[in-house]
Amino acid sequence: MGTSFEEKSIWIQLAAMVLGLGTYFVLAGKMLASGVREVPAFAALFIVASVFMVVLLAAGHIVAAIASKPEGRDERDRLISWRAEHNSSWVVAAGVCGAVTCMAFGIANVWTANLLLLCLALSEVLGYVLRLVYYRRGL
Amino acid sequence: MLQTKAVIRNRIRIMRFDRGEMTQQQLADLVGVSRQTINAIESAKYFPSLEVAFRISLVFGKPLDEVFQCEFTK
Repeated sequence: MGTSFEEKSIWIQLAAMVLGLGTYFVLAGKMLASGVREVPAFAALFIVASVFMVVLLAAGHIVAAIASKPEGRDERDRLISWRAEHNSSWVVAAGVCGAVTCMAFGIANVWTANLLLLCLALSEVLGYVLRLVYYRRGL
Repeated sequence: MLQTKAVIRNRIRIMRFDRGEMTQQQLADLVGVSRQTINAIESAKYFPSLEVAFRISLVFGKPLDEVFQCEFTK
């Protein structure tokens, strides 16, 4: 079965997310290890990572659109999307619980913010992986 | 509640063949879904909504139960 534009788009989003936010978390980890605790320093890094992700997404989708004509989403694409979101949203919920716990114990904001961001990124990555699994294995 | 498992099969591949080897893309265009969705329905990886099922049966000019069959097994 040939790969649809929707499926290609998910591969591109997954790659952009892993490369963009993966780079962010590697550098943020190094910053935390070297004692940086100011949130604006991490915010600047996050903005750069986000711009990098947007560039990757735009370039990837342009190439994918040239390679195969986008057909538009149909009911199967929407169902796969809903089910993947339903099965990956618990990661964000776990992150929120973790963040509340961090706040209760008075842990520095920079750790809480990065924990939330990490859970958001992991939830998205899990969502993309589940979409790809549902496309390949069926619902 | 029925304590049985439903196994849904379809005859889309045969019906496409009977229609002069209609391609999956041609059927997809007539039904209004992607070719990959028709492929997934044919290989029982995806069970379509009633609307799409009726659209498929309409394309072939057959009743719904001639295109899709359901067997209940324990």
